[in-house]
Amino acid sequence: MTLDISGLSKTYGEFAFGPVELTVGEEVLAVLGPSGSGKTTLLSLIAGITSPDSGAIRLHGRDLVGRPPEARRVGIVFQEGALFPHMTARENIEYAAETAERVEELAAVLELDDVLERRPTALSGGERQRVALARTLATEPDALLLDEPLSSLDAPIQKRLREELHGLFASLAIPVLYVTHDQRTATALGDRIAIVRDGDLEQVGTPSAVLDRPASRFVARFTGNENLFEGRAVDRTPDGLRIEIDDLDLQTTVTDIPTQTATACIHPSRVIVEAPGDSEAENTVTGTVVHRLNEGGEYQIDIQFDRVDRTLTASVRPPTVERLSIETGARLRVRIPPESIHLIPA
Amino acid sequence: MATKTDRSSATAIGLDWMSVTLVLGGVLLLYYVAPMVTLLLSVPTSDVVAQMSDPVVVSAAQTSLLAASISTVLATLFGLPLAYWLARTDGFAPKVILAVVVLPLVLPPTVSGIVLLTVVGPGSPIGTAAGSVGLPLTRSLAGVVLAQTFVASPFVVVTAKSAFESVDRTLEYASRSLGKSRWTTARNVTLPLAGPGILAGVTLAFARAMGEFGATMMVAYYPRTMPVQIWVAFKSLGLDSAYPVAILLVVISVVALLVLNTVASNPWE
Repeated sequence: MTLDISGLSKTYGEFAFGPVELTVGEEVLAVLGPSGSGKTTLLSLIAGITSPDSGAIRLHGRDLVGRPPEARRVGIVFQEGALFPHMTARENIEYAAETAERVEELAAVLELDDVLERRPTALSGGERQRVALARTLATEPDALLLDEPLSSLDAPIQKRLREELHGLFASLAIPVLYVTHDQRTATALGDRIAIVRDGDLEQVGTPSAVLDRPASRFVARFTGNENLFEGRAVDRTPDGLRIEIDDLDLQTTVTDIPTQTATACIHPSRVIVEAPGDSEAENTVTGTVVHRLNEGGEYQIDIQFDRVDRTLTASVRPPTVERLSIETGARLRVRIPPESIHLIPA
Repeated sequence: MATKTDRSSATAIGLDWMSVTLVLGGVLLLYYVAPMVTLLLSVPTSDVVAQMSDPVVVSAAQTSLLAASISTVLATLFGLPLAYWLARTDGFAPKVILAVVVLPLVLPPTVSGIVLLTVVGPGSPIGTAAGSVGLPLTRSLAGVVLAQTFVASPFVVVTAKSAFESVDRTLEYASRSLGKSRWTTARNVTLPLAGPGILAGVTLAFARAMGEFGATMMVAYYPRTMPVQIWVAFKSLGLDSAYPVAILLVVISVVALLVLNTVASNPWE
């Protein structure tokens, strides 16, 4: 089962979507982008809620463009679930299911047995989304679309449901498109991630490819990588290019780039912080902590370099923060492993 | 602190704005309620009950109820699809069509009657044709129904339109993505959810049809409906003899109001 999208475009007033080329196999594609970037438009076009200006959508060889939503065999789970408020959870699922056994089967898989007789208003946010998912899966769709199904839920429920979805998606042999603006959800659930920006696909790749080797500054920033430095390739060593950022000279493992100048991109989680030492080994820089932010599982530390006027952000685990007594004003040495420097050609 | 100063200056006058609204509004409320009370007090209950069995009154009540019921059914039958179309179509066309729907609401009823007579009157082609097959469209129950439907059906369309609009379109898309046709979706999702609003429109249309006087007078003076009967009684025998039917109509109006505020969703709430 493959979803093939080619030359798909749609214009609403000022906003232009596409043209988009995309192929989704039996996998989960997380569609990640800021609000207003066209993520929902993509889903609406596939589901038949909006018709494209041009382009083709083929699912399992069938052309979907021109078909009404009811004839597409495309299941969609909406942000708030879109459960029918005048029906109980069971009636909602029964509305879509062919047989009563299917309802029981899905209720068991999604742990809904206890809430089947309740109306949507009496369900919690998480239960509502599980019922919505059961209802959509009851039709045995050829493709599954999800539009930010977790975004309105509290963090703990979001985390639990994310884990459940991960398991569930693995059991589905259909293309799954999961729209989200949350990078964590995208990396956790997506076999691949598509980054959407202003109606276009900016990058499509595995979570590690998108996170570690962003194709543009936008992708880097949107996936939580604030460390972007303009630099110049100055030397080619057997290990890779050396890049100069002002007075700072860094060794990379990048073999070649098409341009002289490039943006060096260093993911905060790849930066290693150490106690300040005398010697400056390769790819180490000393600096002062100018800002410390506790994000729960880890700290975001901003370090101002001594030699050049640059600030680097590092994600540091609490034990390291405690061991090195990292606080604002503390002195630190930062080591940037050569393999963690990614270059975006200018 | 600007807000504090404002508050103290308001209390200094001694009358705050809420009290003013209450007093002014109260005058109007009294103006609504007092005539109802005086109407009910003006005739002894026994007289009213006695006059209720007067064949003329009974016949007027029957005509009104029958004609208003038929008008309401017609208004619903043709009004609901139009309301759905208006609620689910974007662009300029629905705006123009809505204006046409609202026209009978703003048109003086007697003018509605004249307009209708140009189409179904005895001299018109349609009126003549209908008359020749024994179904006269004026001075007949059909005439009453035509006049009432013209004046009352916009209530169904306008109220049901907003009821349909209040149903989230996402629910319809959800239903259709589950493989259900537009019709199945409308029947199982949109109609039940818009139900109370539609019922409100139907109730308003029925109440309007029951009270229709101007257009009915012009198109079908006979058979007499209750409002026409009130006028005839008032003109020939004086105010007193118009009371029983008037009280009957007040009762029907109150029942309509009860329906609006209980099972239906009051569109003005």
